[in-house]
Amino acid sequence: MSPSRRRLLAGVGAVTTSALAGCTERIWSFAEGSTTDRLSVLIKTPPSDDDPMASKIASQLAENLQTAGIDAVPEPTAKPELFRSTLLTHDFDIVVARHPGFDDPDGLRPLLHSQLSGERGWQNPFGFSERTVDDALEAQRDETGDTRRQTVADLAEYLVETAPYTAVAFPDHVSAAERSLGLSRPPRTPSEYAALYYIRPPDDRRGEPLRAGVFAEGMTDRLNPIAVDLEDVGVVLDLLYDPLVRVTEDGYVSWLADDVSWQETDGGSEAIVHLREGITWHDGTSLTASDVEFTARLLADTSLGEAESPVPAPRYRGRRTLIEDVSQTGPRTVRFSFDSPSEEVVRRTLTIPLLPEHVWEPQATVIDEHVTEALTWDNDEPVGSGLFAVTDSTSGERLELEAFEDHVLFEDGIPDRPDLLEGTPGFDGIEFRVTANPGSAVESLEEGELDFVAAWLPPSYLDVVEEAEGVSMLSVSTRSFYLIGFNARNEALSNYRFRRIVSRLVDREYVVSEFFDGHGSPARTPGELLGLSEGVDGSPEEFPGSQGDVDEAWVRSALEDAGFHYENGDLFV
Amino acid sequence: MALVGVVIELAVVVATMLLGATLVIVGPRQFVDALSEFRWRVRACTLPLAVLAVVLGLRWMTQDVVPRLSWRVLGHNVTPQIFSLEQTVFGTNPVAVLQSYQSPEITAVFAFIYLYGYAFVLIFPFIAYFALEKMDDFSTLVLAFTANYAIGLVCYVLFIAYGPRNLDPVLFEGLLYDAVPRAYYLTNTVNENTNVFPSLHTSLSMTVFFLAWHTREKYPLWVPVSGTLAVGVALSTMYLGIHWFTDVVAGTALAAVSVYIGRNYTIDGLLESARRFLATQAERLGQPGGK
Repeated sequence: MSPSRRRLLAGVGAVTTSALAGCTERIWSFAEGSTTDRLSVLIKTPPSDDDPMASKIASQLAENLQTAGIDAVPEPTAKPELFRSTLLTHDFDIVVARHPGFDDPDGLRPLLHSQLSGERGWQNPFGFSERTVDDALEAQRDETGDTRRQTVADLAEYLVETAPYTAVAFPDHVSAAERSLGLSRPPRTPSEYAALYYIRPPDDRRGEPLRAGVFAEGMTDRLNPIAVDLEDVGVVLDLLYDPLVRVTEDGYVSWLADDVSWQETDGGSEAIVHLREGITWHDGTSLTASDVEFTARLLADTSLGEAESPVPAPRYRGRRTLIEDVSQTGPRTVRFSFDSPSEEVVRRTLTIPLLPEHVWEPQATVIDEHVTEALTWDNDEPVGSGLFAVTDSTSGERLELEAFEDHVLFEDGIPDRPDLLEGTPGFDGIEFRVTANPGSAVESLEEGELDFVAAWLPPSYLDVVEEAEGVSMLSVSTRSFYLIGFNARNEALSNYRFRRIVSRLVDREYVVSEFFDGHGSPARTPGELLGLSEGVDGSPEEFPGSQGDVDEAWVRSALEDAGFHYENGDLFV
Repeated sequence: MALVGVVIELAVVVATMLLGATLVIVGPRQFVDALSEFRWRVRACTLPLAVLAVVLGLRWMTQDVVPRLSWRVLGHNVTPQIFSLEQTVFGTNPVAVLQSYQSPEITAVFAFIYLYGYAFVLIFPFIAYFALEKMDDFSTLVLAFTANYAIGLVCYVLFIAYGPRNLDPVLFEGLLYDAVPRAYYLTNTVNENTNVFPSLHTSLSMTVFFLAWHTREKYPLWVPVSGTLAVGVALSTMYLGIHWFTDVVAGTALAAVSVYIGRNYTIDGLLESARRFLATQAERLGQPGGK
């Protein structure tokens, strides 16, 4: 090898090494001649362009940590990278982000069970592992009614003290619409979209597409329903992909299934699911029991057995782990078997959207270590079985959907048809339009270029909405919540006493009144502090300070009690 | 559509400013004379302009790849370090100090300077130096701009940094996009919100000002005008919460380096030495070199 080539390679090596060293985020310390280290933490959070509410919570937390003598700085990180580093590579100290929320307390199981801490997605990103917690999470899975409620309540009290993460507040989904649409809350589910589509066309909009504003540029290019790097596209995927059973305001509603019968088995349970007649995918292929079986297999292992160990899909993981087996018992019948005897827990598995075997089977290839094509491909021409199908998309600008007329639920006279699909549609198709930011979305609305904003408007834009002509404000409470997550893989954060104190350093009432402009509700009870919006009561928690500023004496003595000490006002481990 | 609207408005306003400045600073006679012999002038600056176009084209073409390369491989998120550094040096962040003087009028003035003043200060020297008897100053300007963009691009790959408004919206306000939401179409089309270190707004405006000083005998009036605008642009980037003080300092340093390159090198010279370097390298490797 020539000297110049060797020099070149050495140079490349040096650059690579320094770049890698720069990439590792960790608690870094300055050991200045003492045996202990000053505590420094980085708080990962989306930049305020992406999520001003998260950014403001992180700001308050950083401020209060500094009051406590800890060197804490927010580290703004673009949303896709934030998901990557917290949910996939677990490279963070503290994260402030919005969690989609739980539809059932069993959602805590994938989030905190030690068995899942090596997995990707919202599967124990905190690296938390405690036997007591694992046991309780497994117990509630097999229980029902009051017994289960009690187990969850006890678990909640325990988790507030050990604080693997802490919920800050439940934000309302605030948005805006053209006043003549007569909406009072933003549509969030396929049934709400359908209702709008059917019932509410103002005269001058009849026969035209319904135009919804979004800010996520990526949604025009990436519509993978089993990946987790997506944000704000949930509703689109719900319109495109249908499950067997849906949860609507009326509870569990038969969707692609027309009959589900439950029976207990030895220690577990079983559901026989019967598909409706004549259901097809958007490309015309018929949807059969085999697709149902395939979906369950793919979610459990996106390599379909090709990889050495299974590569599960990070989305729907909690629900998928409840299923023991899915088998086809006829062209339109499938048997789901579960280890848990608790119908109230396992019936949620039927709400997982179905994927077409003929489209996804070829994607089940391993492309990298523990990564499959199915998890990474963009799926920019999605084939689902939902009420709407994608017809066209312009990268970074718009995504056009049309009603899938062959959908079985659009036919008259079918049994158990959801009421909302009665009547004649007033609009023709749905168009998601990407606008640069919330301000320009409101301007477009005012100028009649949009019918409503589907994305979340930061509350600071409500003044603009109020002033805008012909525009009304929409608001609805949600299950989703802002959380502060701790990476227990890091030294100081592995200490539950420390996490518990940090979990008290945000003034939740203040966050809601000042940062959310009152549009949301603070987490107070043990259940709420875990992100469970209902069902678990208990004594509410008080913020040790006022107006968002923590009481310095309180936090310093609390940290000293927890075994830390101060040198020149700085906290040392 | 919205982008087109914003661009047209920008174009109309800036064109008016350019027309006024051309009449006052260059003078109608000199400008018309220059136009009448545009052929040799264009020929003289074709090469530098082509190189600038290549660098700009490279930026344009790599805009999808660069953020990915930066986040995943080469870059380091230096936002917390910039924030901590300024905290240590100043106590109160300079951006917060500037924003404490906030009023709707000041915001309007700075938003105008940031959007329109900046576009004007960048384009006018092209007209002014084109109207000079020799094209040397024009070539210097083009090479200095090229250096700004090229070095800036490398920095943006290596340093991921968000501006004050993105790090902490409680301490710092994002005044520009609150005042002119549609400006985001423009700035976001031209740039990513992670490209703040160094401030290219500052470096390009300062480059124009430094060059104005060197041509003060030809256009004495342009020195105070460009100076005021350059300082105004630098202040506006901070006041509007887009850049840190550190970015502005780095931008000014980049301007100094770029002006040095622009005045001491020429594109012909650079290409010639590159050709010679490659030829000797080729010979050393024992392969048939250039002619």
